[in-house]
Amino acid sequence: MTKPLLTISGLEGGYGDIKILNGVNIEVPAKSIVTIVGPNGAGKSTIMKAIYGIANVTAGSVTIHKDGVDHDVLATKPYNLSKIGIGYVPQIENIFSAMTIDENLDVGFLPESGKPLGELKESMYARYPDLVSRKKDRAGQLSGGQRQMLALARALMSAPDVLLLDEPSAGLAPALVDQLFDELVRINESGVTILMVEQNARRALEISTYGYVLDMGRNRHEGAGKSLASDPEIVGIYFGKR
Amino acid sequence: MTDFIQLLFNGLVEGSIFGIAALGISLVYSVLRLVNFAAGDFLTLGAFTTFFFTTSIKFPFVVAVVISMVLGVALSLILEFILWRKLRKIRAGTLALFLVATGVAFIVRQSIAMLFGSDSRRFEIDQIKSFEFFGAIIPQAQLIVLVCSSIAITAIAIFIKKASIGKDMRAYSDNPSLAAVSGINVNRVIIATWIISGTFGALAGVFQGTVQGQFTNAMGLDLLLSILAAVVLGTIGDAYGALIGGFVLGIVMELSTWDALLGGIPSTYKPVVAFVVLVIVLLFKPEGIFGVKARKI
Repeated sequence: MTKPLLTISGLEGGYGDIKILNGVNIEVPAKSIVTIVGPNGAGKSTIMKAIYGIANVTAGSVTIHKDGVDHDVLATKPYNLSKIGIGYVPQIENIFSAMTIDENLDVGFLPESGKPLGELKESMYARYPDLVSRKKDRAGQLSGGQRQMLALARALMSAPDVLLLDEPSAGLAPALVDQLFDELVRINESGVTILMVEQNARRALEISTYGYVLDMGRNRHEGAGKSLASDPEIVGIYFGKR
Repeated sequence: MTDFIQLLFNGLVEGSIFGIAALGISLVYSVLRLVNFAAGDFLTLGAFTTFFFTTSIKFPFVVAVVISMVLGVALSLILEFILWRKLRKIRAGTLALFLVATGVAFIVRQSIAMLFGSDSRRFEIDQIKSFEFFGAIIPQAQLIVLVCSSIAITAIAIFIKKASIGKDMRAYSDNPSLAAVSGINVNRVIIATWIISGTFGALAGVFQGTVQGQFTNAMGLDLLLSILAAVVLGTIGDAYGALIGGFVLGIVMELSTWDALLGGIPSTYKPVVAFVVLVIVLLFKPEGIFGVKARKI
C-alpha cells in the first residue's frame, strides 16, 4: 500500500495548560480531499494550528511523505513548511489587505517551487479572472467571495502538494459556498491534495474522498466522504441542525 | 521674498532629516508595534561616533559616517537579541515597551555623555561655503544634506515597494499571523527592519549635527517630538509618507517663524509647532496624509 501524503498520528496538544487534542490520527492520501468535521471545540482547527506552531504539541507526530522521503512536519519551522509542500489558508485574516492583489500573489510565491513567478501568477489570474482587473487594488477592497479566492490563490502560489484549509466556507453567503466547494474540487483535480476543517459538514463531506469526525479532541468516526455525509446517525448527532 | 525662500530652504533641509529619522521609527513601529523612543538618541550616537572617528582617528568624513551607520545597526541588533525579542516572546504590552524604550534612551544618552563628554561638538567640515539664491543663503553642506537624504529615502522607499524582503516587511506589518504561516521568515524581516532603522538613524544624526553646526548629547531627544509628528503626519509605515511628512513638517515649522505671518513666532518655539501639528493630525486625520483607513496608533 502506498504511504499517505500526510500522516497525523497520536497528536496531542492545545493552548497553554488547556489540552484540546487528545490523540488525533488522520491520514491524507495523495490527490485526495480529506475533511475533518465535528462539533465546536472538538479541536478541528487546533490540528492546523499545531502544525503551524500556534498551538502547543505535547505528543504525536505529523509527517509528509514526498518523493520517497518522510519529512517531520512538527520539527520544521512554520515559514519552511511551504518548502516541504504544505500550504495553509487560515480561517480569518487570510489575505494581506493593505497590499495589492498582485503583491499578495508575490508574497505567496516560493522561489524553491521551481516554477517561474510570472507563469504561476498567469495561471492564478486565468483561474480567477475576477482578480485580473483588480490587480493593482488593495486586497482589502475585495468582496467576501473574492477574498477567499485570493486567499486560495496566495496559498497556491507556493505550488503546494497539500493545502490545509481552516473553515474555508465560514462567513460566505450561501450562493458563494457552492462556488467555493466547486473551486476546491477544481483545485484538487489540478493535482493538489486538500485537508480541510469545516463547519458546513454535509456539503464538505459530499466532495471529500474521506472524512473524519472528531469529538473531544479524539477520532470518533471515519469513512468515505459521501457515506459519512449521509449516515443518519452521524448526521443526527453531529450536524443535525440544518 | 528672500526670507520666504530662505525659510523654505531651511524647512526642506530640516524636513529631509525628519524624513529619514521618521522612516526608521515608522518601519519599526509597523513591523514590531514598538514606538522606539530611543530613536532620537540613536541619532545623537551617530553624530558623536562620526565626530569621534573624524577628529580622534582622522578618518575621512564619509568613512566615519559609514562606520557610524554600521555601529548604529550593530547596537540595534544587539538590543533586538537581548531585549526586544524576549519582550515579544512574553507578549509585553504597550506600556512595558514604552518604559523599556525610554530606559534604553536614557542609557544611550548618558553613555554618550560618559564616553564623549557633554560639551557641544562640531564636525570639522566646511560650514561656511554658501551659494546665494534670490538673496537667500544656501550653505553647501546643507544642500548636500538635502540631496543625500532625499536620495537615500527614495531609494529605500523603492526597495520596500519592490524588493522581495521589502514586500515581506509590508506583508508582516499588514498581517503578522498570516505572514508567519505563508513562508515569510519573520526573523529575517525583523532584522532587515533594524538594519534600515540603525542605518538611517545614524545618517539622520550626522545630517542634523551638520545642519545645527554644534550639537550635544541632547540633540536627538530635542528632535524626537518633531520626528514623531512627521511619522504620524506621513502615515505610519509608509516610506514615501515619512519623506513627505518630514518635508511638510519642516516647512511648516520654518515658516511659522516668518515675520510676514503676524510677525512669526520666536524660533525657540518651533518644537511647539511640531506638537500642534501632531495634535491636529491625531484629532482630524489620525491615519496621516496617505492613510486609507484609521490605524491604531
